[in-house]
Amino acid sequence: MNHLSLGEAITEFYLDFKAKFELCFIDDNRFVDYMLSGLGNTLKITFFALIIGVVVGVVLALIRVTYAKNAHNMRRGAGKFFLGFFNAIAKIYITVIRGIPVVVQLMIWFFIILVSWTDGVMVAIIAFGVNSSAYVAEIFRAGIMSVDGGQMEAGRSLGFGYISTMRYIILPQAFKNVLPAICNEFITLLKETAVVGYIAVTDLTKGAYIISGRTFEPFLPLIGAALIYLVMVMILSWIFGRLERRLRASDQR
Amino acid sequence: MISVEHLCKNFGKLKVLKDITERIKPGEKVVIIGPSGSGKSTLLRCLNLLETPTSGRIFINGEEITDPKHDVNLMRQQMGMVFQHFNLFPHYSVMGNITLAPMKLKKMSQAEAEDLGMHLLEKVGLTDKAQEYPGRLSGGQKQRVAIARALAMNPSIMLFDEPTSALDPEMVGEVLKVMADLAAEGMTMLLVSHEMAFAREVADRVFFMDSGVILEQGTPDEVFNNPQEQRTKDFLFRVKEKI
Repeated sequence: MNHLSLGEAITEFYLDFKAKFELCFIDDNRFVDYMLSGLGNTLKITFFALIIGVVVGVVLALIRVTYAKNAHNMRRGAGKFFLGFFNAIAKIYITVIRGIPVVVQLMIWFFIILVSWTDGVMVAIIAFGVNSSAYVAEIFRAGIMSVDGGQMEAGRSLGFGYISTMRYIILPQAFKNVLPAICNEFITLLKETAVVGYIAVTDLTKGAYIISGRTFEPFLPLIGAALIYLVMVMILSWIFGRLERRLRASDQR
Repeated sequence: MISVEHLCKNFGKLKVLKDITERIKPGEKVVIIGPSGSGKSTLLRCLNLLETPTSGRIFINGEEITDPKHDVNLMRQQMGMVFQHFNLFPHYSVMGNITLAPMKLKKMSQAEAEDLGMHLLEKVGLTDKAQEYPGRLSGGQKQRVAIARALAMNPSIMLFDEPTSALDPEMVGEVLKVMADLAAEGMTMLLVSHEMAFAREVADRVFFMDSGVILEQGTPDEVFNNPQEQRTKDFLFRVKEKI
């Protein structure tokens, strides 16, 4: 049993850490090849899934809200029929998507529906985009419903059509109301992409996992991945915080 | 100018308007009074189709607006509406509230629209608030902005749905003054209100509505000083302190 002085202990710890750090991140260019390129995939999947999620989600929300607020006093006819039809589709879509774990959906897309696609990243974008859209739809539906009914009446009474009133008057207010919830959804999406390893896509998580497998050193790669996720989420929250403050300019009293 | 024929409106089983037939001439100022639930606001809201009539026909400037083929949005541009709760757009400045419709619907340039906006704000005495957001205005100021916003589309008819009912008493006067100015310019106006003094001063005709019908109508003098129907008398007695 040898007793080390404090200085020696620190030196030893440092050397040990340095060796493990080099083993995990520097040797064989591992950090760049696995974690950084994995991070690229994580960001790519998150970003495009986000766009799909918001676009499809807003459309779904508009269908649901339009149906809920107008169907009862519409004249019988093609318009009412199609609105009812699309509303039913939207409801089923949201129910199914929200009812299945995202990792199961991901595998269904990869192994069953899009089996001919070879690019796992593309499949992941579709799977996460579709998944996110169901949640975004409900967030936006709540946001639109929270705008006072008088706003629609005021817009319509000026001569705006239903769609223009939505666009210029209702949606900007709804968007402001849902920002915190949307930020939440984006954060969830970013972190949920960590399961793409199931369809053989190397993302940040999978990259870290591969490194720990190669080096038998799980600590640094996993903590490293964790820190990178944390920093990305912090950046996302910061961006949304700024956006919220800017949009709140009209709330000053 | 406005012609209503056999207008009925039901909310479910409740008959809110029962076979109303009425004509309003250009430039006429009509004040609609009556107890709550009598259908005053519903009648007003049917005129620009914010409520879809159950049956009956409505003509504005000779065009049947209840015809399903009629362009509702174009018709609404000719009718300004002012609401009890203002319904200003909180995410636009005062100027933005006024210029939005002329810019988007009449394709006015921003400079043109802002000239118009300034002119209208002058009319309602709020030029200094042009860049303010609605959240920072008092109720009376909000309602004056709402009137300016409605006027921005240069309507030939103005509908007022209890415009002073949500205001603190000391702010009622400033809004009524703007409305009186508008009346003096010859605007056709329909007003649902409990402001009896204003009705007396400005109205050409007063409708007393009860249970979905216009029970009694006439000049303010006839309705207020010499009501024929017992229910009109009862109603006026109850709101007497306001006359």
